[in-house]
Amino acid sequence: MLKVENLSKEFQSAGQKVVAVNQVSFEVPTGVFSVIIGKSGSGKSTLLALLGALDKPTSGSIKVDNEDIVKMGDKKLIQYRRKKIGFVFQNYNLIPNLSAVDNVILPMEFTGVSRSRRREKAAKLLAQVGITEDKFNRKPSRLSGGEQQRVAIARALANQPRLVLADEPTGNLDSATGEVIIKLLKHLAYTKDTTIIAVTHDDGIAREAKQIFHLQDGSLV
Amino acid sequence: MSLINRGFRNAFRNVIRTASITFILALSIAMSLIMLMSLKTVQAKIDEVKSSIGNTIVVSPAGIRGFEGGGELLTEIEVSKISALLNISKLSKILNARLTTDDTNLKSAIEAGSFGRRTRINGGGQTQVNADGDFTPPIMLTGTSDLSITSNLNVSQLEITQGEKFDAGSDQNVALLGKTIAEKNSLVVDSTFKAFGEDIKVAGIFEGGNTFANGSVLMPLKALQRLSDQVDQVSSLTVQTNSIDTLASVQTAIKAQLGDKADVISQQENAEEALQPLQNIKTISLYSLFGALVAGSIIIFLTMLMIVRERRREIGVLKAIGASNLKIVNQFVVESMVLTLMSSVVGMILGGIFNNPVLNVLAKNIKEPDLGSSFAGPGLGRAIVRIGSGLVPGVQDTLRNIQAAVGFDLILYGLLAAILIAVVGSALPAFLISKVRPAEVMRSE
Repeated sequence: MLKVENLSKEFQSAGQKVVAVNQVSFEVPTGVFSVIIGKSGSGKSTLLALLGALDKPTSGSIKVDNEDIVKMGDKKLIQYRRKKIGFVFQNYNLIPNLSAVDNVILPMEFTGVSRSRRREKAAKLLAQVGITEDKFNRKPSRLSGGEQQRVAIARALANQPRLVLADEPTGNLDSATGEVIIKLLKHLAYTKDTTIIAVTHDDGIAREAKQIFHLQDGSLV
Repeated sequence: MSLINRGFRNAFRNVIRTASITFILALSIAMSLIMLMSLKTVQAKIDEVKSSIGNTIVVSPAGIRGFEGGGELLTEIEVSKISALLNISKLSKILNARLTTDDTNLKSAIEAGSFGRRTRINGGGQTQVNADGDFTPPIMLTGTSDLSITSNLNVSQLEITQGEKFDAGSDQNVALLGKTIAEKNSLVVDSTFKAFGEDIKVAGIFEGGNTFANGSVLMPLKALQRLSDQVDQVSSLTVQTNSIDTLASVQTAIKAQLGDKADVISQQENAEEALQPLQNIKTISLYSLFGALVAGSIIIFLTMLMIVRERRREIGVLKAIGASNLKIVNQFVVESMVLTLMSSVVGMILGGIFNNPVLNVLAKNIKEPDLGSSFAGPGLGRAIVRIGSGLVPGVQDTLRNIQAAVGFDLILYGLLAAILIAVVGSALPAFLISKVRPAEVMRSE
C-alpha cells in the first residue's frame, strides 16, 4: 500500500543544512497499524508531513497504491489529501466554533458528498468512535480531551482514506484514555482496511503496533 | 455546513470584537456615504447654479448706459440674429423709458436728495415735480418681453403682493407697479394711471427688494415700444445660455453678429467666484471620500490580517484535511463581507442621519468669496452684486438650502463601496493564507 524509497528532506536552519529525514525506505501493507518511534527532533513529524503530502521531500519517492505523490502537481495533491489521507493531531485541531458533527462533516464538504449523506455518515462515524448522540452538537470546548481526539479520528476517517497519519495521538491524553484511543485506531485499521501510521515516542503505544520503525537523527535504525 | 455558512459564523466568533469592528467600520462607511452625498448634492447645486445664474450675457447698444451716453438702440432685426444663435436658452428684451410730469399723472415715490439734484444740474433735465413744486427724479418705466428674467428689470426680486403678472408678450396697456409708487399714488389692482397720454391698467403690485425697484413700473415690451414711440427698438438684451460652459462661445458669437454696435458683457467671472465655495466643498468632500474609503479598507485589512494570523493553525489544518487555497480564501472573504455589510447597514443609517448636519457644517465653514466689488450692468440703477446680499437672484442661495437627499443610487454606491472595501481588505490576507504551509502546523505540535 505504502512504499517509501530513499526519502530525504533537507532544509536550512540558521545558515546550516539540516537533514531532517535521511535516505529512509520502508513499506507498509494495507490495514496495518504501524508506529514510527523516535526521540524529539529525530525527524518523525517531518516524515509524517512528507507522507501526508504537506511538505515536499528533497529526494526519494512515496508511492501510495503505486502512485508517486512526490511527482504530483498541487491540484492532484489536494485531491490526494482529500481522498487518500486522514490526519490525527496531538492537539486534536478541531475547528473550535463548529460542533463535533460539523467537524466530521468538513472533509466531506471538500470532496462534494451530498448534504444529507454527510450528516448521516458523520453520525455513523461518531458513533463508531464512541461519541454518544447527545454530544454530536457540542462544540470541542465542551468535550473532554479523549472525546475531542475521538472526534478528530472520526474526521480523519470521513472520506474513507487509505492512510491515516497520526502525530502523537495520545500525547495530550492520560494513559488510560491514550490506551483506549490506540485500541480504537488499531480496531479501525483492521476493520476498515485502513493503514494507520502513528508517530510517537511512547514505547507502550509501539508495543501495540504490528510494524515499528525506529527513527534516529532522520534515519531508520 | 456550507462555506458561506462557515464564513458567516466565523464573523461572530468573538462578539465583542465583531461589535467593535462593525462600529469603527460603520463610521468609516458613514463618512464615505456622507462625503459621496455631499459630492453629489454640491455637484447638483453647481449644475443648477451654472444653468440658472452666471450664464447671462447683457447686450446693450454701444455708448449707452441707462439714460446716459449716446448712440443707437438695438433693432428687432439685430435681436432676431442673436436669438438664432446656438446654446441660447432664453432671451429677454428690455426697453427703458422715463416718465416726466408731462408724460404721466403718477407722482414719483423717490425724493431727489442731493444726488438727484446734482444729476439734474448736470443735465438730468426737467423730470418730475412734487406737490410742493420741488423737483423729484423721473419715474422709471421698464418694458420687458420676459418677466421670468428679473436680473435686467432693476429689481432684486419680483414678488407679486397684489394682482398678477401680465403677459409680457402682449401689447396691452397694463403695468406692474412697485409697492412704494403704488402707495404714493393710491393705486390698487385694476385702477388706472396715465402714461404717454393713454390709460394704463394696474395688473399687479410687486415687492422689488429695494427702494429704487419699488418706485418703478413694469410693462409689456410691445406696449411700451408703442406708447413711447420706439417701435422695434430695444435698449438692452439679456441672453441666458444653456450653461455657464457655453457662455464664452455665445458671447463671442454675439460680438461677431453685432460688431461695434453693441457692448456685450457676461457675468462669468462673478458666477465662477460665486461657485468657488461650492467647489471648495466639493474638493473637501472628494478628499474626505477617498480618505474614508482608504480608512475603511485599512480597518478591514488589519482586522482580516489579525484574524488570519490568529487562525494560522486552523488554516493549516483545513489545508491538511483537503481544503484548497480558494476555498479557504473564500471563507475569509465571506467573513470579511459579513463584517463589512453589517457595518454598511449601520453606516448607511448613520450617514442618513448625519449627512445634512455635516453638509451644513461644511457650508458654514467655507469662506464666502469677496464679491464686494460692484459689477454694474448697463441698465439704470443696476445694483451691486454681493454674495449673500440677496441682490443677484440665485447666487445668494448657493450656500443656503443645500439639502442632501438619500436615493437608491447612493445606497447602491454605499454597498458597492462596502464590497470594494471588503475585497481590497481581504486581498493581502488571502495571499497570506495561500502561503500558510500545513507542515509548519504539524511541526509546531
